[in-house]
Amino acid sequence: MTDTLPTPVPGGLDAQRLREAYRTMRTIRAFEERLHEEFASGDIPGFVHLYAGEEASATGVCMHLDDRDSIASTHRGHGHCIAKGVDVKAMMAEIYGRRTGACQGKGGSMHIADLSKGMLGANGIVGGGPPLICGTALASKQQNTGGVGVAFFGDGASNQGTTLESLNLASVWGLPAIFVAENNGFAEATASAWSVAADNIADRAAGFGIPGVIVDGFDFFAVHEAAGEAIERARGGGGPTLIEVKFTRYYGHFEGDQQSYRLDEVKQARETVDCLKAFRSRVTGTGLLDEAGLESIDGEVFALIDAAVAEAKQAPRPTRSDLETDVYVSY
Amino acid sequence: MPDRDADVAVGIVANPASGRDIRRLVAQASVFPTTEKADMVQRILAGLAATGVDSALLSVDLGGISAGVLRARNRRRPGADPPWPHVTFLDEDVPTNSAQDTRNAVGRMLDAGARVVICLGGDGTARVAASAILDHPAPTGARRDVPLMALSTGTNNVFPRLREATVAGVAAGLVATGAVDPATATTRARILDVDAGDRRERALVDVGVCAAHFVGSRALWDPTAVSEIYCAFAEPDAVGLSSIAGLICPSPREKPQGVVLRLGSVDSAPVVVRAPIAPGVVLPVGVLDWCVLRSGEARPVTATSGVIAVDGEREIELHGDRAASVRLRDDGSLCVDIAAVMSEAAGEGLLRSHH
Repeated sequence: MTDTLPTPVPGGLDAQRLREAYRTMRTIRAFEERLHEEFASGDIPGFVHLYAGEEASATGVCMHLDDRDSIASTHRGHGHCIAKGVDVKAMMAEIYGRRTGACQGKGGSMHIADLSKGMLGANGIVGGGPPLICGTALASKQQNTGGVGVAFFGDGASNQGTTLESLNLASVWGLPAIFVAENNGFAEATASAWSVAADNIADRAAGFGIPGVIVDGFDFFAVHEAAGEAIERARGGGGPTLIEVKFTRYYGHFEGDQQSYRLDEVKQARETVDCLKAFRSRVTGTGLLDEAGLESIDGEVFALIDAAVAEAKQAPRPTRSDLETDVYVSY
Repeated sequence: MPDRDADVAVGIVANPASGRDIRRLVAQASVFPTTEKADMVQRILAGLAATGVDSALLSVDLGGISAGVLRARNRRRPGADPPWPHVTFLDEDVPTNSAQDTRNAVGRMLDAGARVVICLGGDGTARVAASAILDHPAPTGARRDVPLMALSTGTNNVFPRLREATVAGVAAGLVATGAVDPATATTRARILDVDAGDRRERALVDVGVCAAHFVGSRALWDPTAVSEIYCAFAEPDAVGLSSIAGLICPSPREKPQGVVLRLGSVDSAPVVVRAPIAPGVVLPVGVLDWCVLRSGEARPVTATSGVIAVDGEREIELHGDRAASVRLRDDGSLCVDIAAVMSEAAGEGLLRSHH
């Protein structure tokens, strides 16, 4: 009997891919932690909604995607953007409202988009993403590209008609669409345990005749494996899947949220559950990566975020003449 | 016989996470929605009340099962709905959304004097509930031998039984009230102890060793990755890893021994069996050899790296620096035999009256 571990490891997660996963999760975490500090300084216009704590979801899903694929995001969209490959400096500049931003500084945090990366946009409309994904998935199917569309949405959006109609349409048309319900327990201040009838969002998949699975959102490997199976199935013509990712956001709904609706132990979730710490201990425990290598990634990421913030602060703001550019009709 | 003068209590622990794993996606595993689990609890309550159980102790979860039962209780119409026992929600512990919730709930039930523990879940949930009973000492330090009734709401259900919850509630009530003697209505399950250094697990059905680095989404559905299987019992009509043994070298639940198999390539193994290793998945599996697993014997796991799965769920990541072993024990949980209880009830006329 063999006592050696055959390769490849599940989902093709070799050392190189594991480093990529760690870098993406660390970049998201560092990006959000920095915004948490910078937002308090008052330099950032509008609202920001931080994705810290949820990194394993965007990363575990988007690692399976390539240029054929598109994603639709939410108001809490920074993590999805980073995981889909949007330039971190352009994102930071966008959040600061600068001309060098991903959308020339006109969108801000909730409207970062980069169509060249298949990132259809963060979206201030709750439940706005799923219909968009039905469109791109239909295009992929018609053009036979093998591409898939992934809609990230929250527990609040799971109750929206747009989301439920999209699940129905995707099932009826057999679209290569993946619906990732990121259930962080609260839609703004409303508990999903109260507002989501039947409690598990994934349970609703049965009503649309598609698979629905629940995964631990703090476990990168669980998300990665489930998303990989769903995406492979969709690429092969197997149709849509609903994946419910359960976790907790580390910060409030938006920066400045007093969070009187959350228990202290939930607010302190990062002390007990952290996808980055869990990832780190498991990859070093199996000997696939070493601590020094991960720390060097940390250093590179922190330097990137420092540079992104410094450059964003120095970048010019849009001018009055920019008002009439990037619009469909210039009056 | 239990003291009928005391309040008769039965515990019900329901796992909100069972029946929702990746096998809905990679196979056509059945969906067990929260609402159905909450309905099952209500059917059990009706069965318990019909046999004179005074009190039901119900686990509390964040998945919506206890909330569904609470809503139903608050909407009950006096006189119109069938009676329930008094329902106590075990809400002393903060839910963790993990197996710890099941352990906590079972501990509370035993402390409160539950005479039967009913468990709703799959093999994984039954494993945790059975372990919680085995590990829970009575105040005197003696072992509390409270019978377990495992009902299926999971995926690979080999250990828990797929039974109508109403009948299960009646049977549990007959045991709890002492109408049926537990000695004739229960059987002793065996258990597999897995010792992997700092990690210990138990299995009620099978232990599989597979070539993977990570626990991942837990479920196991690819037999080509599995190198060794240890079965407490193996039935030909089972689903899951134990079905491989069940179809080659069956080992009944009642027999005080299990079976060990070594798997190999389908192309070169001397025996190839087509086995239902997951719902909707029947695949050829190469078997190198097999032998009896004797009770009490600690068998070293051959592989030094990979992942150990218990009852079909990957749980322990092996790191090469620690050897693992599997031991079959014949002192597992007492389990309620629903058919035997109902048979005794019919024979003794326990549910019968005459005018």
